[in-house]
Amino acid sequence: MDEEYDVIVLGTGLTECILSGLLSVEGKKVLHMDRNDYYGGESASLNLTQLYRKFRPDQAPPADLGRDRDYAVDLVPKFIIASGELTKILVHTDVTRYLEFKQIAGSYVYREGRISKVPSTEMEAVRSPLMGLFEKRRAKKFFEFLQGWKDEDPTTHQGINLDEDSMKTVYEKFGLEAGTQDFIGHAMALYLDDDYITKPARPSYDRIVLYTSSMARYGKSPYIYPLYGLGELPQSFARLSAIYGGTYMLDKKIDAIVTDSDGKFVGVTSGGETVKAKQVIGDPSYFGANGGDGGKVRVVEEGKVVRAICFLKHPIPGTDDSDSCQIIIPQNQVNRRHDIYIAMVSSTHNVCAKGVYVAIVSTVVETDRPEQEIAAGLSLLGPIYDKFVDITPLYTPTSSGQADNIFITRSYDATSHFETVVEDVQDVWKRVVGSDLVLKKREVEVQN
Amino acid sequence: MSPATTSTQPVNVKLLLIGNSSVGKSSLLLRFSDEQWLPEDESSATIGVDFRVHKMDVKGKKVKLSIWDTAGQERFRTITSSYYRGAQGIILVYDVANRESFEALPRWYSELETYVSSSVVKILVGNKVDKEFSRQVPTAEAEKFAARMSSLFVETSAKTSVGVKEAFTEVVEQIMDTPELWENTSARGQGTAHGNGGVPGGVQVVGLMDEQKPGEGCAC
Repeated sequence: MDEEYDVIVLGTGLTECILSGLLSVEGKKVLHMDRNDYYGGESASLNLTQLYRKFRPDQAPPADLGRDRDYAVDLVPKFIIASGELTKILVHTDVTRYLEFKQIAGSYVYREGRISKVPSTEMEAVRSPLMGLFEKRRAKKFFEFLQGWKDEDPTTHQGINLDEDSMKTVYEKFGLEAGTQDFIGHAMALYLDDDYITKPARPSYDRIVLYTSSMARYGKSPYIYPLYGLGELPQSFARLSAIYGGTYMLDKKIDAIVTDSDGKFVGVTSGGETVKAKQVIGDPSYFGANGGDGGKVRVVEEGKVVRAICFLKHPIPGTDDSDSCQIIIPQNQVNRRHDIYIAMVSSTHNVCAKGVYVAIVSTVVETDRPEQEIAAGLSLLGPIYDKFVDITPLYTPTSSGQADNIFITRSYDATSHFETVVEDVQDVWKRVVGSDLVLKKREVEVQN
Repeated sequence: MSPATTSTQPVNVKLLLIGNSSVGKSSLLLRFSDEQWLPEDESSATIGVDFRVHKMDVKGKKVKLSIWDTAGQERFRTITSSYYRGAQGIILVYDVANRESFEALPRWYSELETYVSSSVVKILVGNKVDKEFSRQVPTAEAEKFAARMSSLFVETSAKTSVGVKEAFTEVVEQIMDTPELWENTSARGQGTAHGNGGVPGGVQVVGLMDEQKPGEGCAC
């Protein structure tokens, strides 16, 4: 370990692995380390042994759950938006060649005690039981407006200025009911709370268009999911990095982040040896999130997320026996500030034994009794075979890292997809490299 | 499907190379797929080799082989579990002139036990027989070990190309003799899959802006 690197990356979560993959392709000499003996950090998928070791160290997995190796249980419940930014990175880096994807079979929203499919086109809106007859007509007009919008053609604007008018103005123009606003804002634009309503409508428009175009790609839901679990994603980017010369070390305890007298990064000490590099990138857990790193405050807690990983022996009731789905409970429906999400996958995705369904119920913590906050979600699941509840603090770095060459990523938030992860990748890239991330198509090897 | 299209449709087979660093995995791949050999000073630790595609005819069937290299991740034993997905054949390589690389094999076999099904075809390859003068692993000993591990066995030299073609051909032949490994390749096989929607209900993931042009396809 006496070599010097351009960048040391700590933690093999998805954010860090995308960054080390892209940095390696760019020609940087990367050393990537993780304290765990598996890839993925906070975004790993665990087998049963690893899952029990994490949550119930003194208990062995029950035999009737089946073989250990059949399991890849995600720690973070997220899906990939088919037309989203992560898909773009996967395609441009050709990392898709290491992965197989399936659709998530359905996207549902909770309204007045029951769940229904989220309509995503005017055709579906017309058939949806979510709305009464007159509301359907209004919703149809709203969707036609969105689909017809052209920036350069004012006749399609119907008097709305997306950059100035609020989403409230747009909803009022089409006379949409509060319940309809709930599913548009939360189940399609995927906002976690209602803050967006009073802000300019442009981002909401973009999000709804992303949802509907993703929906249109594969039909059943806007989401895709990698076989064998989300943990495949960081591993695939790790391989990309390795192909371009990145060095990987797992099971390495990090003893210290070494800085010079000005506080600038020098190297990382592990197992009594210090490896030097120009820069370091890492997830918050390597920079004092758990109180370490010599008392230096490099990250702050922004809030907490509660996640309950539930094993079921049946599909979620009311989802037409879907092998996978997302259910969104908009905050207004349960008198909360943040939505409750349910993400479910099953053996079709090679993440658990046959006959088992893995549902994760999550939300942003608002009280000091987090588990009770997801009760409305848990009650939709039917009988729960087993449940692992995790309350995770969300950390964000206190500085950009440009002064000390220490660049820290953010924790995985409560959103149901990877768009904010990619935003973090782009942000860290810019801080580390000094210019915007431009995706280049990876050269395809010669075919015989 | 008409018989004509069936016979022209190649069987996709995915092979993996594993074994300690510097035993010659990438050299074997290069010798087999490109008929090339790089002297040691030019062939430092693996950089840039993802996989190679090779077409061959085996027992009257067209086979499209994709042979995957470790990307150097064997060095600190950090090969990803995803590397092993969908493999039908495994080539375990050691260096006949390096006892340690032979002693490491049980650990590689236990990794296989974790990640691949027992029906996957394995071949043990003793490479670098051109270094006969400094041999540390007797042929008979390795042969016995291979038999115990239910693996095929061959000795090779990527440098002189001795045994290289045989090694790959033998694995593929045994795979073709084990139809459960390749019939319904769509269920698991990589050639049709890997982002190209080969699994039942799988989806093809291509960019919005650059939908794949006909005939361009993925290299696998």
